[in-house]
Amino acid sequence: MKSIFLIDDDPIFVYLTRRIIASIDRQCKINEFTDGELAIRYLGEICDKPELLPDIIFMDISMPVMDGWEFLNEYSQLRPKIKKDIALFIVSSSISPQEVERSKGYSAVSDFLIKPLERGKIVEIIDNAKETAE
Amino acid sequence: MSSFIHKFYKRWQRWKSDVPVSPREANRHPSAGETEQRLIAEQLDRQKAFYENILNKLPTDIAVFDADHRYLFVNPGAISKEEYRKYIIGKDDYEYAAYRNRDVSVAHSRRAKFMEAKQTGKEIRWEDTLTDPQGNMITHLRRMFPVFDQTGELSLVIGFGIDITDRKVMEVKQAALVEQLSKQNTQLMDFCSIVSHNLRAPLVNMSMLVDFIEASQDPDEQRMLISKLRPVIGNLHATFNELVESIQIRQDLEVKKENVCLHECIKRTVSGLETEINKLGAKIETDFSEVAVVHYPPAYMNSIIHNLISNSLKYHYPGRSPLIRVRTRLTADKIVLSVQDNGLGIDLEKHRDNFFKIGKVFHRHPNAKGFGLYMTKTHVEAMGGRIWVESVPDEGSTFFIEFENRIKQAS
Repeated sequence: MKSIFLIDDDPIFVYLTRRIIASIDRQCKINEFTDGELAIRYLGEICDKPELLPDIIFMDISMPVMDGWEFLNEYSQLRPKIKKDIALFIVSSSISPQEVERSKGYSAVSDFLIKPLERGKIVEIIDNAKETAE
Repeated sequence: MSSFIHKFYKRWQRWKSDVPVSPREANRHPSAGETEQRLIAEQLDRQKAFYENILNKLPTDIAVFDADHRYLFVNPGAISKEEYRKYIIGKDDYEYAAYRNRDVSVAHSRRAKFMEAKQTGKEIRWEDTLTDPQGNMITHLRRMFPVFDQTGELSLVIGFGIDITDRKVMEVKQAALVEQLSKQNTQLMDFCSIVSHNLRAPLVNMSMLVDFIEASQDPDEQRMLISKLRPVIGNLHATFNELVESIQIRQDLEVKKENVCLHECIKRTVSGLETEINKLGAKIETDFSEVAVVHYPPAYMNSIIHNLISNSLKYHYPGRSPLIRVRTRLTADKIVLSVQDNGLGIDLEKHRDNFFKIGKVFHRHPNAKGFGLYMTKTHVEAMGGRIWVESVPDEGSTFFIEFENRIKQAS
């Protein structure tokens, strides 16, 4: 069973992404976080419990309290303690090349995806995650 | 002047006398008649006048020093008055400063430069800025270089300076231009960020919702999806309006200032926020005893006060009645307006750098978009003012706005 964390404060986007994921894989477990701080706090608590850790993280950049960049800084520090290989994707409405460039500075980031998320892309990501997990 | 050439001449003679003279020449010398002597003297005088003329007419200032930093020569470009020019020969800068009743610090710094040239044996250059009697800043590019004789002894140090005030003025103008450009670039990046995050995000949601509506066969589900469109459109509308307002502020450089009564301003804000104030049991105290009227665009002042007070209400501490203190202080030429609250406060350690940035939100609040403080900053800076914040988490925040005091308080 796959597990996905959605870190995004936009309820409509989270709702629609949930629906797409459910239509691809009904078994998929989804956790929602409305900002980076809530997500990093939880990841810190479960970092040594692979059964609770996600296979995939979809994360927005523009969020209250702790935005995506701040999250990435903390996540990079936490990463050596995380007992699982997690694929992290930035999912942003931003079309700024500077932000894409900036994301390349983080080894934790698998890819920078621009909203809207295409169904085909999500299928591909979930399939890839399956391969590494098995 | 004459003593400079004279010294040179003497030096040349001394050097000549050091050169071994062949017996034949030595024999011929006494045989030179008086005529020849006079001719040589005339020729020397002509040469002296020629070089003197060049040095005196050069549009730069020239000074020549001996190995102990005493003046051997200055041209009129350096010291225009002949009396002073005569005085300085054989003296140093300290004596000259005392003679002209001038600050000794110039002598200190010149001595330091001289020692640098003397000790390194290399040419040095620096820029020298001073204020002329009319109060204008005059900048010189100065160079000083040591001259050594045959034996490697320091014989002279020559200094000269060129007035580069025009170039300096241009540099200052260019620096101002570069700063303005980089500011505008930051604004452009801000707008790119707004367009990405605040306009494109709802558009993406709308198009995704429409895709789902089209794909769905179930009328109930379609209705449910359509109902989700409304808040997205509302959001887009609000963002768009705020964006337009912010662009207008930037373009409105010649916006009209008026005398704005701060009591009136507060009254208007309070009536606009009446519902929230009553619901929270908020108290607003004002102290405008130092400044009650400011010269400012009324719409900006209203917006600043409205934004700050509504922020204080929005981010109140749960279960604590908001107490908001608005006051003004008068300094020498500035007015500082402050809005203090007892609300949630903000961790400035973490957020100082991006406090007033667009789209930054520090609390989990449904109506927070990160526009308010950005707009306030825009209003303040458009008028050449400054905004900053002090805050203690869980205790409250104080916002300060400083702007020029253009009203004569006496009138």
